[in-house]
Amino acid sequence: MNRTPPAPGTRASAAPAVALALLAWLPLAATAAAQDVPEGVEYCLACHEDESLTLELEDGSEMGLGVERESYMASVHGGELLCTDCHQGYDSDDHPSGTTVESRRGYVLSSYEVCRQCHFDTYTRTLESIHYEYLKAGLEEVPVCSDCHGAHDVADPHQKQAMVSRSCASCHDRVYQVYAQSVHGKALVGEGNQDVPGCADCHTAHSIADPSTAAFHIRSPEVCIRCHGDEELMAPYEIPTEVAATYLADFHGVTATLADPDEVEERQLVVTCVDCHGEHGIVSPALMTEGEMKAQVAGVCAGCHEGAAQDFPAAWLSHYRPSFSHAPLVFLVELFYTVLIPFMVLGLALQVGLHLYRVAVRR
Amino acid sequence: MAHTKLATAPRTVRRFSAWAIFQHAAIIVLFTLLLVTGLPQKWPQLAVSQWAVDWMGGVFAARWLHRMAGIVFAVLTVAHLAVAVGGVLTRRMKPTMMLTRQDFRDTLQNLRYYLGRTEEAPRFGRYDYRQKFEYWGLIFGSAIMVATGFILYWPILLSRLLPAELIPAAKAMHSNEAMLALLIVLVWHLYGAHLNPDVFPFDSSIFTGRIDPARLAHEHPLEYQELFGSREAGAREGAAQEAAANAAEPPRRPAGGAAGPR
Repeated sequence: MNRTPPAPGTRASAAPAVALALLAWLPLAATAAAQDVPEGVEYCLACHEDESLTLELEDGSEMGLGVERESYMASVHGGELLCTDCHQGYDSDDHPSGTTVESRRGYVLSSYEVCRQCHFDTYTRTLESIHYEYLKAGLEEVPVCSDCHGAHDVADPHQKQAMVSRSCASCHDRVYQVYAQSVHGKALVGEGNQDVPGCADCHTAHSIADPSTAAFHIRSPEVCIRCHGDEELMAPYEIPTEVAATYLADFHGVTATLADPDEVEERQLVVTCVDCHGEHGIVSPALMTEGEMKAQVAGVCAGCHEGAAQDFPAAWLSHYRPSFSHAPLVFLVELFYTVLIPFMVLGLALQVGLHLYRVAVRR
Repeated sequence: MAHTKLATAPRTVRRFSAWAIFQHAAIIVLFTLLLVTGLPQKWPQLAVSQWAVDWMGGVFAARWLHRMAGIVFAVLTVAHLAVAVGGVLTRRMKPTMMLTRQDFRDTLQNLRYYLGRTEEAPRFGRYDYRQKFEYWGLIFGSAIMVATGFILYWPILLSRLLPAELIPAAKAMHSNEAMLALLIVLVWHLYGAHLNPDVFPFDSSIFTGRIDPARLAHEHPLEYQELFGSREAGAREGAAQEAAANAAEPPRRPAGGAAGPR
C-alpha cells in the first residue's frame, strides 16, 4: 500500500462509520508510503526539499521551489508519478536551465495543461466551462486544474468538504457564505455529511456552465431530483421523493421536462425548485411555518402570473398527492376516473367479445 | 334533402348530410391533432413523447397547436349543438339521437342475443344504442374537454371567478377524460366501424354519405322500413312497435338524430 486509500466517493458508501474507518488508515498509509519514495523523486528532493530554494521571476517576485516530501507522498499521485512526469524537460543534464518566467501565475497557466496527458476527458470538459470562456478572454485569475486540485498535494477530489472550501470558496466567497448557512451547507461544512451537495454536485466539477442562463434554470430540476428523487438517499432524512414526482407532474414540471434547454427563451421560463426553495441558501421547509412557505410560493406565482386572485397559489398542491384532506376536488376527480375508465373499457371490450362470440361460434 | 318513399330500394341510400360528413372528417383531424399534441404532455418522461415534441418544434409550439385545435374543436362543438337544437326545434330534423327506453330494452335484448338466450336480434331504428352511446359520450366528453381546456388556457381569469383548486381539478379531468375518449375510440369505434365482421374492413357510409340498402335493412331495419315500407317477414312486428312509439310521443320517434336532416 503506497497511497491513500480511496475516500468514500459515492453517496451510497458515505456512511459516517465507513468514512471514519477509512480516515483511520490515513496516517498508516502515509507512514507506509514514506518508505517507498521512488528513486527518481528522491533524486529531485535532494535539492527541492529545501524550502528556501527560490527563483526570481521577471516581475520581481520570488517563486518557492521547495516541495514537502510528506504532502507529495500523501497526495493521490504520491509514489505513482515522478517529478519529471509533470515537470517535463527538467530531467536532463542542463538542469537548472537558467530560464525564468514572467510571473507565478504565468508559470501556472503555461504548465497546467500537463494534466491532460492523463486526465484527457476531464480536461476536455473544462473547455466547455464558463471558466475557460473567461480564460480565453484573457482573465488570468480563473481557475485551472492546479488551482482547485493543488499541484504536489492533489487530494482525492471526492472529499467534498475539502474541495468546496479550498477550491470554489476561495474565489466565490460571498456565495459560499450563503451556502454554508443553508440546510446543505450546514450539513457538509458543519457535520461533514457527504450526502448533501457541495458546489460541484450541482454546478459540475469541470464543465461548469453559466448559471445565469435560461438553459441552466430550466434544467435545474434535474439537479435537485438526482438526489431528491432517490428514495434510498432520502430515506434517512425522511424526505419524501414525492416532492420530485409531484413537481414533474405539474404543468410547470412538464414544461421543464419537455422544453429544449438550448432554445428556451427567458420569457418562456417556468418555476423550478430553486424559485420557491432558493438555491445556495436553501432552508429546510420543515423549519418554516406553513404561512412562511405559502407566502414565499405566492410571491413566486405573482412574479409571472399578474392579476391572479389571492388564492391562485392554491392551484399548486404544494407537493401533496391529492387526498381527502389536501385538494379533495382533485382527489375526487382522480377517483372518479380510476373507477370509470376500467369500468367503461372492460364493459365495452366485453360486449365486443360477446359479439364476436355470437358471430363466430353461435351464428 | 328528404327521401321520397320508394316502392323499390335504390342502389344506395343517402344516410348522412354533407354537414355530418364534414363534422366527422373535422373530428378525425382535430382528435388526432389534439392527441398528438396532448398525450406527450401527459407522459413527458417517455422517450417517444420527447421525440414527438421535438418533431413538432418544441413544447411551446406543441401547446400552441393544441390550443388552436382546441378552439376550433370548441367552435365545432357549439356549431353542432346549435344546428342540432335549432333543427329539432324548427322540426327540420328529427331527434333521432335521443335516448329512449327502447334503447335500454335493445341493449338487454342484444346482450341476450349475443349470449344465445334468444335467437331474435333487436331491430334498430336510424341509430342503434351503440351508436347513441358513442354519440352522447362524444357530446359530454367534448363539453368536459372544452370547459376544462379553457380553464387550463386561462387559469388567471378562472381564479378571479372561482376557487383556484378548480385549476388542478380541471387538469386531472382534462387528462383523464382524454384517456377515456382515446380508449373508447380504440375499443368501441375501431371495432364498430372497422373490425366488426359486418363492416370489415371499413364502414364508408360516413365518408360517402351513402349506404348499401341491404346493409341498411340489416343494421337499421326500422329505418329501412320507414323509408321503403315493409319487405321482410319479421318487419310487421317492428312496424307495430314503431307505430306504438309514434303514438306515445307524436312528433318524436324512438330513435332520434341530431346528425343530419333526412
